[in-house]
Amino acid sequence: MKEIGAEDSSQHTVLGPQHLDAVVRVSQFVKRYKKHVAVDGVDLEIRKGEIYGLIGPDGSGKSSLMKAIAGVLTYDGGSVEVFGTRVDSERAAERIKPKIGFLPQGLGLNLYPELSIEENIDFFAHLRLVPDKDLAERKTKLLAMTRLERFRDRPMKNLSGGMKQKLGLICTLIHEPELAILDEPTTGVDPVSRRDFWSILAELLEETGMTALISTAYMDEAERFHRLAFLSCGKVLASGMPAEMRALVPGSIVTCEAHPQLTAIARLKARFRQVESLGSFLRVFIDTADESAARSQIDAALGDLTPSSFRVEEPGLEDVFVALLLRKTEHKGVSEVITDSAVVHDRDGLAIEAEGLIRDFGAFRAVDHVSFRVKQGEVFGLLGANGAGKTTVIKMLNGILLPTEGSGLVAGANMRTAAGSIKERIGYMSQAFSLYLDLTVEENIRLFAGIYGLDKHSMSKRFQWIVTMAGLSGYESSLTHSLPMGVRQRLALGCALVHSPRVLFLDEPTSGVDPIGRRHFWEILTRLAREGGVAILITTHYMSEAEHCDNLALMYAGRIVAEGSPEDMKCQVEEVAGRLFEVVVDQPRRALVHLQQTGFHGAALFGTKLHLFCRDPLRDKASACQALEGSGVRVTSVNERPLSLEDVFVYRVMALERTETSATEGAAA
Amino acid sequence: MNRNDGTSLEAVRLWTLRLFVMTRKELLQLGRDAPLLLFLLYSFSLSVYVSGAGIAMQLNNASLVVHDGDHSESSRELIHRFHEPYFRFDGEVRDPKEGMARLDQGTAMVLLDIPPRFHEAIGSREPVSVQLQVDTTNAPQGLSAAAYAARIVGRFSSDLTLSRLGAASDGTMLMPVVDSAHRVWFNQDQDETWFQSISHIMRMITLFAFLLPAAALVREKEHGTVEQLLVSPITPLQIMLSKVLAMTLVILAATALAMVTVLKPVFGVPIKGSVALFFLMTALYSFTTAGLGLFAATVARNQAQVGMMALLVISPMLLLSGIATPFEAMPSWVQTLMALSPLRYFVDVTYGILLKGVGLELLWDSMLAMALLGGTMFGLGMWRFRRQFR
Repeated sequence: MKEIGAEDSSQHTVLGPQHLDAVVRVSQFVKRYKKHVAVDGVDLEIRKGEIYGLIGPDGSGKSSLMKAIAGVLTYDGGSVEVFGTRVDSERAAERIKPKIGFLPQGLGLNLYPELSIEENIDFFAHLRLVPDKDLAERKTKLLAMTRLERFRDRPMKNLSGGMKQKLGLICTLIHEPELAILDEPTTGVDPVSRRDFWSILAELLEETGMTALISTAYMDEAERFHRLAFLSCGKVLASGMPAEMRALVPGSIVTCEAHPQLTAIARLKARFRQVESLGSFLRVFIDTADESAARSQIDAALGDLTPSSFRVEEPGLEDVFVALLLRKTEHKGVSEVITDSAVVHDRDGLAIEAEGLIRDFGAFRAVDHVSFRVKQGEVFGLLGANGAGKTTVIKMLNGILLPTEGSGLVAGANMRTAAGSIKERIGYMSQAFSLYLDLTVEENIRLFAGIYGLDKHSMSKRFQWIVTMAGLSGYESSLTHSLPMGVRQRLALGCALVHSPRVLFLDEPTSGVDPIGRRHFWEILTRLAREGGVAILITTHYMSEAEHCDNLALMYAGRIVAEGSPEDMKCQVEEVAGRLFEVVVDQPRRALVHLQQTGFHGAALFGTKLHLFCRDPLRDKASACQALEGSGVRVTSVNERPLSLEDVFVYRVMALERTETSATEGAAA
Repeated sequence: MNRNDGTSLEAVRLWTLRLFVMTRKELLQLGRDAPLLLFLLYSFSLSVYVSGAGIAMQLNNASLVVHDGDHSESSRELIHRFHEPYFRFDGEVRDPKEGMARLDQGTAMVLLDIPPRFHEAIGSREPVSVQLQVDTTNAPQGLSAAAYAARIVGRFSSDLTLSRLGAASDGTMLMPVVDSAHRVWFNQDQDETWFQSISHIMRMITLFAFLLPAAALVREKEHGTVEQLLVSPITPLQIMLSKVLAMTLVILAATALAMVTVLKPVFGVPIKGSVALFFLMTALYSFTTAGLGLFAATVARNQAQVGMMALLVISPMLLLSGIATPFEAMPSWVQTLMALSPLRYFVDVTYGILLKGVGLELLWDSMLAMALLGGTMFGLGMWRFRRQFR
């Protein structure tokens, strides 16, 4: 770890000289599935003791690469060397397997649902011939670390997503491998469990000196890796330390407000390639790191519109990834014909009005007094962990589930009495995109047009509109399963919009889509809302996406525990918890322990950096630095960071969990 | 369910349009599923031929070994009466023990033991018996072997008696003899292939009528597309009905294929009744069985579970509904239970129409029973379908 920290400033080349302590060396790796080339000439080097990240969308080749390194997949070209052994035969693979722990993709898929936590662990340990004494010792340690002790006897199928993930990790590491290969361990897990997972993993790696190769589809997790590689279409776009990656694309992110927003976007897009709208804000990537130069470029592009609440930040890794991707590919902008003038919905009315919704399943209250309002033309985000009640709320609003108590109007229809009218006036798109994969694009669109009762004339009109809107021309007679995820997603959106609904429900609509696809998708959504007056209610696991919403509601245990615009939500947390600071130190693990002992409970590890909340910045900063210097940790820098919505989510949920625990403990006492 | 401002005619148009687009979707999806299509094609063509030509329930080619302790004219005469196609002479054994060993090994089915002095005893008008040992591990075959053998020996004995009497007096006229003059109907040649191939088609109809709609529904659950349908103006009735409609069409086409390619040209089954009536009944039966399948699909979580349920539900149906074995021969509690099996009625209807040529005037009660069962199952399926998303 020390050595990596020391390199931070000196090394800037992407692929340095071959390291002596490389655990994995991959060169010119090629993997084909029939004619499809999944991985195409990848070079990779993983050094002892580091957390190496593979980042890329679905289908970028992450899993193939990881399986080959784990010795469970043959490949078609290049070489894979693990612990100095060339993995080119089954026998060679068997030699390295004892030193490897591999967690395949899919939450809990490698575990046995009927077995208890302990039985699962024992099974994997016996499989790896772990001696009983070591097993007992490790089990106690790992169960304590993951706080699963209390649930030892609970069958795996009754665990929450976060718990399954932690159990999966224990089972993968029970034989203390030297290299842990974890394929998308955090996909489908809520932000709180994700953070928990990362801190457990960091602690374990530190303690055992293990090396880890981890893939993720969440861009915001990139900062947690020591080194990483961006994968796209089977190729490495860039690799290195996060700082090195940033250096590849120098620039800055400008956030500002300008009215009217759509005109501003159009003008900015003419000049810059990465322009997004986040609620009422605009977010632009500019090729210069100089703040005043950035400002003057924006002013020039906007012309007579004056930007307000101007802010310049360092680009995130996602911005870097997108910039790199854009260099490679010609990105078609969203077509101009987003709305046909015939279906602009009245922007004054309320689209959704939920009043004290309650839903009980037996003795369990899934939704507890939920009320909120969404105006036409508003993008409303419903956030919350799995099981927080988001889906139940959506089902009630869609008219497929009756509320136990409470009432609501959706698109002007009462959800208690007019479920049929609701169904005709809303569009719905789910996580699975809900398309028929064995039908062609055209057949899918025609099916949904028929379901919504469109006549021939309006059907062909809407068909053209969907094809243009979603950029599907040329794909009309392709089978849906052959489409890239991003295109599939836009087709699903098109099908949900075939009848020009007033309200659109999106249930985790962007999983598995690459960042450019996601931005393209959000661009369409924003325009639907701004130009067409469509009200959009969306749930998402990607907190970075929640920034796009005009208003948010955070659900916890069936209740709405915080609501407001993204800015409001951040301010609310800043008021209670303080400002967020990023501390760069030379010994992050040690620093974290010391900080937590000093009373900074919110401190968390992000790769080689620490994040902590300070209520009184000046005093807290000083006391934190003092505590660290006193224990022999060198502090390189302390910078304030703007809060992300993920910080907000984690802070809120953790606070609620703490009060809940103390309440139950109080009751027990 | 429908637009409030629209006329009722418009509502009906929309309802039919929705059902139509959903049915078309099912057919398109099935059309893209090449392995399934191939399986369907095989099941209604080659497999019908194989079971028609291959399965034989009648006694055929039973292996016979003989212990002949007499080696006389009479013993040879008796042995010769055990002939093909029912029995196959498989050699002589020197010792009855050796014969028993052959039965144990399963290389012989019937052991005929003729005692010494057989001919002599017949000549001296003493009563004499031969011993038959039959392997009835396969009960129906063994029992018919025993029955055939008994008949052969009885005939041998009565022939002997008659000839002796005839030699003594003026002939047989004086003897009281009752002869059975039987006449077989509906399958005069007693051609077993007719029965076997038709019953195989019924098996396949049952299997596919259960499996196709059930798999289609559970696949929508697996892929999450059913959610999409539930939030649309499509009603659960339309979702389920469209699957039944599409799959019934497919099954009718497949049945027609079996009739045109195998039943008529290869086996020469005389289709005596109305083909239209037969197809109508097949459609009704498909609907009924599909109701059962859809009910199973609402309980199952994935296609594998549906497959297992198909095994669980269909095998007793096939075995006990009288498709291959006589319904009347079963214990009464099984008969009562099988009143719930739509196949039990479809068997009557199918043999009735295809072989006997009877019409609705005799089959109306079977039709009513199928319709009632189908309606009930479909209703139950609908109820479960609505409930599982609550």
